[in-house]
Amino acid sequence: MNINYNFNDKFDIWFFATIILLLCIGLLAIYSATLNNALVENNFTKQLFWVGIGIIVFFIVFSIPTNTFKNIAWPAYLFSILLLLVVLIMGRKISGAKSWLFFGSLGFQPSEIAKISTILALSSFLCKKDVDIETFKDILIALAIGVAPILLILLEPDMGTVLVFATIFLTIIFWKGISLFGLFVVLSPGIVAVSSLFGTLPFITTLAVVALILIFFKKGLIFSGSLFAINLAAGFFTDFVYHALSPHQQIRIKSFLDPMSDPLGSGYNSIQAKVAIGSGGLFGKGFLEGYQTQLNFIPEQWTDFIYSVIGEEYGFIGSTITLVLFLILFLKILKIANTTKDEFLSLTIIGILSLFFIHFIINVGMAVGIMPVIGIPLPLVSYGGSSLIVNMALLGIVANVFRTRKNYT
Amino acid sequence: MKTDSFASQSRKKIIFGIIIIGFSFLIVRLFQMQILQKGFYDQKSQNNSVKKIDKIPIRGLFLDRNKDVLVNNIPSYSIFLTKAEYNLKQNKLLESVLNLEDGHINKFLKENEKYSKFIQLRLKKDTPFNVIAWIEENYEHLQGISYKIEMQRGYPSDVMGSQMFGYLNEISQNQLNKLKDIYKQGDYIGSTGLEKEYETLLRGEKGYDFILIDSRQKLIKKLKDDNSIPTIKGADLVLTIDKELQKVAEESLKGKKGAIVAIEPKTGEILAMASAPDFDLSKFASVTTDEYLQKLINNPSKPFFNRAIMSVKPPGSTFKILEAIAGLELGVIDKNKTYNCIGGAEFYGRYFKCDAVHGIVNITSAIERSCNVYFYHLIYKIGIKKWNEYAEKFGFGKKTGVDLANEVSGFIPDEKYYIKEYGGNWPKSIMASLAIGQGEVSVDPIQLAQFTSIIANNGNTFQPHILKGYIDTKTNKLVENKTNPIHIDINKEVLDIVKNGMFLVVNGRGTAYASRLPDIIMAGKTGTAENPHGADHALFIGFAPFDDPQIAFSIIVENAGFGASHAAPIGKLLVETYLRNKINKDLNKTVAVK
Repeated sequence: MNINYNFNDKFDIWFFATIILLLCIGLLAIYSATLNNALVENNFTKQLFWVGIGIIVFFIVFSIPTNTFKNIAWPAYLFSILLLLVVLIMGRKISGAKSWLFFGSLGFQPSEIAKISTILALSSFLCKKDVDIETFKDILIALAIGVAPILLILLEPDMGTVLVFATIFLTIIFWKGISLFGLFVVLSPGIVAVSSLFGTLPFITTLAVVALILIFFKKGLIFSGSLFAINLAAGFFTDFVYHALSPHQQIRIKSFLDPMSDPLGSGYNSIQAKVAIGSGGLFGKGFLEGYQTQLNFIPEQWTDFIYSVIGEEYGFIGSTITLVLFLILFLKILKIANTTKDEFLSLTIIGILSLFFIHFIINVGMAVGIMPVIGIPLPLVSYGGSSLIVNMALLGIVANVFRTRKNYT
Repeated sequence: MKTDSFASQSRKKIIFGIIIIGFSFLIVRLFQMQILQKGFYDQKSQNNSVKKIDKIPIRGLFLDRNKDVLVNNIPSYSIFLTKAEYNLKQNKLLESVLNLEDGHINKFLKENEKYSKFIQLRLKKDTPFNVIAWIEENYEHLQGISYKIEMQRGYPSDVMGSQMFGYLNEISQNQLNKLKDIYKQGDYIGSTGLEKEYETLLRGEKGYDFILIDSRQKLIKKLKDDNSIPTIKGADLVLTIDKELQKVAEESLKGKKGAIVAIEPKTGEILAMASAPDFDLSKFASVTTDEYLQKLINNPSKPFFNRAIMSVKPPGSTFKILEAIAGLELGVIDKNKTYNCIGGAEFYGRYFKCDAVHGIVNITSAIERSCNVYFYHLIYKIGIKKWNEYAEKFGFGKKTGVDLANEVSGFIPDEKYYIKEYGGNWPKSIMASLAIGQGEVSVDPIQLAQFTSIIANNGNTFQPHILKGYIDTKTNKLVENKTNPIHIDINKEVLDIVKNGMFLVVNGRGTAYASRLPDIIMAGKTGTAENPHGADHALFIGFAPFDDPQIAFSIIVENAGFGASHAAPIGKLLVETYLRNKINKDLNKTVAVK
């Protein structure tokens, strides 16, 4: 079938413009954040280079045949699992996590590639005709696909990325159509696990709520009982994992629960970022005028805390514009996910949406002090080559699907 | 497979809802922080980056009585280390660049364990500029290392003044606890000598700058809206010291042990105060090497010890002057009373020698030729009680109150002391030793100089002092240092007899005739203090010119031998130096007037 599209049908110029605007905001912020820091003075130039490469990658992914994605799903998945294994053996440690692979001076995180391939593999599995997400067996397989990279990343260990994968997994199975109870089955151990971090009382309370919901669904004693047991186990397991975590991550979790407990330690970043954003006010202090930014009060502000630079120098208006750009991006992706008739592509795109959204919400939330400090970059804005390339590739997939959305009926 | 639920509109709405809720949360939070709580965060941001920095005022100078600079300030670079940022891996490199011995930094860190890891600790003073240039170049790699220009003491004249001027030290934790309103860790404080005595005048008042710093405490710029408080310079001290005289005093003791104090009799102003051995103050202002410090500490002659006010010795024959005054005043002798000196005499079963056979001597010739026999007889006439009274009246056995710390009192024994030592029937023969300034009696050079001043100026002088005044920084005027007048009633005739004796010591057939000056008349008295531990100490007290004394002095040269041959020539030199200079200056003045 051959349908004649006009340009606007093939290419959503506003979608692309939003991306470009976010990239520009990122470049400005990186320039500002690294200006007075001789150790990273090349970061702006490097990022400029990666933005160029990123745009090329975007257009390549945009123009390749759409069915490529499905074809490469499984090989890509296996390849990235392999890379995750390799990184555990040969990776380089950066701030406590062994998550980087280096080819000469060029470093990248295999977990970034695993993000794409896991989305593709999961979508590929779920779109099969004989898969029923309501069956225990298929949930388990889906879980296995999602959990394999999670486990390997946990070993690095990189909390933030684990959170990203969990979100992608949940969003995709939700989009696939899992029932409320099914979602509860998958989700409840996770909630119990998190609550156990806050102490015994929240842990018991959450368990009680889980028990009540189980009674409400009336799914039989054995099923409900074993599910409750899984929840209980998840709680204890988390406690075990918490103690197995690297000290810097333990401190980060603790310092989230009470940031003032260690104002010069890991709570420091969070406090300084808040001070930067808060003191920005309505209009901000202006480009290159932020004290917090220019005087390097926020460590690594060109990566995880880039939003504080925007907040300080461009104020409420600048911060809000950035948020709105992201909102536009998300809603456009959601719309494409919704209008695509192909199940694989729809699942893939919702996976991409969830990936961007979780990065966005955690990163900005962290900068404004409503999320724990976990090292997660702000897509398109933060400094970092491999994450930018992967993000541009993901957006390329979205644009590609938009281009051919009418081919599937 | 429930196709009805895949990508359903309700699921789309849920995801849409989650996005909107997340977005709203962030917007509300941003609004709260950036609009509602802006002031709060602004304040925090200010506290973060705007810092109140102490400005250290310029320390007051030391000027001599003619306003010649003795001690000033010179800028130098100091290197600071902040523990919180410092990486121990840099030790080796830094030690080699800063020319410190291996392991110095570890030792330094250990010594400074008690201080917060966020403050700057002074690692090295007086760093050469090429090292500073290197640090500036490698700033980014030398975390926790910074430098500052600081003032250190400079000594532009060739006067040493070691113990008198004193030196500064970094304030100790103990001092800091008491004075934390004024000082901060790392500040310098006068530690010895005049630097310590007049710390409050010299230090001035600190000022403050409000500056912008980065997260590594590096100065970015001064704030424009200037709330800074300027420093107030410390007051310059005008000392009573005469630079030339001080120099000569120090040089004449070079290689010896001993002390010199010279006073202007009319005013009590100390013209020179020297104590040997001494040490190089500039080495304390800059980097005090362990080697140099150890050398000083281990020196058995104690260079840190200001002998002029801290070293007590028997006064020897110089004390005969005191005895002569007491005898004449009390009327136990008159100027015609004579004794026959046959080279010694026996008192209470002990034989006491004289240096020579003087024959018939009266009080004047007894002073002139330092005849022991005369004074042996005399002290038994005076009695120990009166002798002690007179000694104390003339300032012995107590501190003069000179403006230096650690002055000692010396000791003038009285009857009580001997009863305590020997019982009620104490051997009276001891008194014969006291008569010639030997035995338990001990005095220090400043007491002798004060005593000489009293005689020179006919019983009137002032408490000896080194501070003439200070220049008030605000008014730029000299505020005079007033000390207590000393007035001792001495019969004019008695004074004339004693002074005449002292005149003859130098100008007659006396012990110091070799030190006479052709044009200036000096009077004096030699002394030789017996030293059971080694060679005798040479003493000389004197004043000049005889008719209108401008300078009175005491000189002790330890373990040198006879006062006449080892101390009196120094006296001659002092008088020559001071009075010739003074006469020249006065001449110049009169010429200028004409």
